[in-house]
Amino acid sequence: MSENHLAIANIPIQQWGELYTQEEALNIGTIFQDLNMPFYVAESVMGTTNPIASGMESLGISKEQSDREQLITKINQISFFLDDLTLYLDTHEKDAVALTLYHKKTLECAELKKQFAQKFYPLTKLCVQYCESGETSFCLQDGPMPWEGACI
Amino acid sequence: MWVYEKRLQYPVKITKTCPKTAKLIMSQYGGPDGELSASMRYLSQRYSMPIKEVGGLLTDIGTEELAHMEIICAMVYQLTKNLTVEQAKTEGFDAYYIDHTTALWPQAAAGLPFTAIEFQSKGDAITDLTEDLAAEQKARTVYDNLLRMIPDPEIREPLKFLRTREIVHFQRFGEALEKTKDKLDSKNFYYFNPEFDKDMFHGKL
Repeated sequence: MSENHLAIANIPIQQWGELYTQEEALNIGTIFQDLNMPFYVAESVMGTTNPIASGMESLGISKEQSDREQLITKINQISFFLDDLTLYLDTHEKDAVALTLYHKKTLECAELKKQFAQKFYPLTKLCVQYCESGETSFCLQDGPMPWEGACI
Repeated sequence: MWVYEKRLQYPVKITKTCPKTAKLIMSQYGGPDGELSASMRYLSQRYSMPIKEVGGLLTDIGTEELAHMEIICAMVYQLTKNLTVEQAKTEGFDAYYIDHTTALWPQAAAGLPFTAIEFQSKGDAITDLTEDLAAEQKARTVYDNLLRMIPDPEIREPLKFLRTREIVHFQRFGEALEKTKDKLDSKNFYYFNPEFDKDMFHGKL
């Protein structure tokens, strides 16, 4: 596999390597340290933390909002971890380490989404069942629109 | 079937109105190498891909590109939602304003409307995957160019995230091309069209 040939693109298959933490990965844009190749004009990504992606910007907001932002940040982080891992598994179906991690993170992610629906509002149609208010009125459209800015 | 999740893949929180920046970023919505073009390219190419896993990868990356389109749109929206007519006039947003007010409409930075002419679905697995590799590089260059022009960290952070995604997708399409090559005769990858002449695989698919 991956032998080089003339007159066709040759790309080496990625080997499993060091990963970023869930928090770092969302800031950077990948879970794989080997695939983080920053542009010199953008300052080195490590060492700068994006306050928005890390849910750290919490000055002057209510406790409910800060709790909500913390939980959605966790959901964003774990979901992104799964997004990147999914693409890796699409081309590395038999990677045992990646598979184990995938199953673990999927369960955690589902649990966090359930909690979010119980405490705040549903993120998907399947989360409607966990909403308290869902019995008397349809709650799918509760909560802010995602494009209004970081779960305000 | 798709399931909508009411959150952005990467959060966007822009506090300043800046129609000039919005017009530049809009290119990654409706421009030649934008996210709309990317998702339509991959989601169109997948149907006739001979190798099932490659069709699956195109579905997953095409879906992620839709989420990227939503991030770009959220950025444009937040940069213009409190726009005054005066700002539209002085910051080069007046022509766009006339046709679309502050609504989202896919066009390139120079005003060219979104068009399917910008991407290909060629019906040959090697050709299409090679196009996809180039597409990721083109989008990366646009993000590089945007990062050179835009100093505001609120705007740069999502752009940096999206730029990294282009590099990851490039790697995955490269691996998909290797998977496709594995099913072909390395003495001549071009002996037949793997997407049309499926019989030539002689049951190896």
